[in-house]
Amino acid sequence: MATPAPESTPGGMATFNILHGFPEALVRGMRSSFLADSDYHHLTQCETLDDFRLNLSETDYSAGVQDKSSLTPTSLQSAAVDKLVTEFQYLRTQAIEPLSTFLDLITYEYMIENVMLLLKGSLSGRDINELIAQCHPLGMFKESTMRSIPTFESNSKGYSDLYQTVLVDTPVGPYFSQFLQESSDRFGDSRNVLEEVEIEIIKSSLIKYWIEDFAQFVDKLGGETKAIMGDLLKVRADTNAINITLNSFGTPLNEPAMRASDRKRLYPAVGHLYPAGTSMLADVADEDELGRVLELFPQYSSIWNIHQSGSGDKSIDDAFYERDVQQLELAFEGQMHFAVFYAYVKLKEQEIRNLVWISECILQQQKDEINKFVPVFSQHSPWRAKKAGAGR
Amino acid sequence: GKRAIRTTEVVRTERYPVEEATKTRAMADNTCQSEYCNAGWGEVLTHMSPYGYANFGIAFGLGLSVVGAAWGIWLTGSSLVGAAVKAPRIRSKNLISVIFCEATAIYGVIMAIILANKVKKPDEATYYLDNNWDWSGYYYAGYGMFSAGLSVGLTNIASGVSVGIAGSSCAIGDAQDASLFVKILIVEIFASALGIFGIIVGIIQSNSCQFPIAPLE
Repeated sequence: MATPAPESTPGGMATFNILHGFPEALVRGMRSSFLADSDYHHLTQCETLDDFRLNLSETDYSAGVQDKSSLTPTSLQSAAVDKLVTEFQYLRTQAIEPLSTFLDLITYEYMIENVMLLLKGSLSGRDINELIAQCHPLGMFKESTMRSIPTFESNSKGYSDLYQTVLVDTPVGPYFSQFLQESSDRFGDSRNVLEEVEIEIIKSSLIKYWIEDFAQFVDKLGGETKAIMGDLLKVRADTNAINITLNSFGTPLNEPAMRASDRKRLYPAVGHLYPAGTSMLADVADEDELGRVLELFPQYSSIWNIHQSGSGDKSIDDAFYERDVQQLELAFEGQMHFAVFYAYVKLKEQEIRNLVWISECILQQQKDEINKFVPVFSQHSPWRAKKAGAGR
Repeated sequence: GKRAIRTTEVVRTERYPVEEATKTRAMADNTCQSEYCNAGWGEVLTHMSPYGYANFGIAFGLGLSVVGAAWGIWLTGSSLVGAAVKAPRIRSKNLISVIFCEATAIYGVIMAIILANKVKKPDEATYYLDNNWDWSGYYYAGYGMFSAGLSVGLTNIASGVSVGIAGSSCAIGDAQDASLFVKILIVEIFASALGIFGIIVGIIQSNSCQFPIAPLE
């Protein structure tokens, strides 16, 4: 696969701390920087964005929002993402193999997004500097590589050159080569592939390879990391499969001829839905059939019911986010495994989404929508409310 | 050289009847048949000097205890340093975990000092030991101190690692919720009690160990 097998395992209870104790304790210390229920309460009560900024300056985000004259949701998002990236890079510099490869694998997802953004942007002729400014900071690779992407001509020869000279150097190059290999038997030549296949399908395929690569790496790590992280990746893969199917309704991908060949290729080869569920999903034509397939899998049937019943109140994305937060919080419950690092990045992202949502609601004065976010480590979460009577 | 062998010869003729010795020699066909060779593992072990046993006991007791203590400090120290970056208030309180680990090393040092004081050389420098040497006391002392050292050493490895893992979780938990500290400390106290068991038993074992320094009257 793309990533080489780990040279050593994380180690059990008695040996984990020797190499990875410090980064793990750092991440667990950072857990206290998540916004608490009281913080969210204060933030949702704000009338203006200046109030919002005042309340934020009492939380861990104080450094990020201080040197801004006025706060907009976009600037808030970029400040919060920069804070996450600083913390992540601090962890990355303290990490030793195999933790460093694990952290790199977390960033490859953002790298894939950045590459596709640059490709798509250069196809539509946008300025390279603008595009680079829009890239996700966690997934940056060499500046020279990024600048050379738009310089290639957008014809078949240009694409194969692009791949052979530029993309193969990036850490996500192996995913590209896998994609080209598997498509070349259908399109005959790698030159034609990048032209003929839609950008979105390329991106979904790359994410699929990334998930499979990550799952294989985690599998070889073994122990508690394999148990917890493997489960998180399986859930991720299933979410992708369901979203691909749902989004393909009404597009050419949903035609019977395309379903088995094209859409089925996009489903990752890991996950609870694999292999039986994905083969069933490959034949699904509309939402009813999708619902019938998902009913066979209890953990997804409840999410599907939310989508079907309350389409105004909560979307399926919200249901997926809630389920994800629940599982990621559980990753913090056990010690001495790597999944906390992945959980930290994802939960911080969820928190950034929450902050942007609240600030947007304040900006647009839509107070009734303001509570539709999923707080992280909240005492009032639905899965914690059941134990409220047990005396916390 | 020859003097040492004469000592063992004295031992052999006093301990085993002559027929037994020839029988064991005859049974082992392809082993060394000379009377200066060991005829089996039993003889190898009993021919090792009790002074050797005693000093190895001291070394194991001290060495293994320090291994356990160091292992525990690795485990708890790295977590303590990491968690203190975001929650500096836990710094001084959680040094108690490190002190518990250190205590297991101290048990090892105490045992080593006690044992080292018991190792005495004979009053008179003789070429070989007398016939009325206190052989039983001699061997008792050697074996007793060896096992006392092992008792202390092995229990302290377990205790040190255990305190280390508990201390690591204690530091991380304390960084999130300060009320957890005292409760998790109780877990560590029980873990360090394992080391105390080792040193108690070790002291009992080595109590009546006396190296004879003069022949019996």
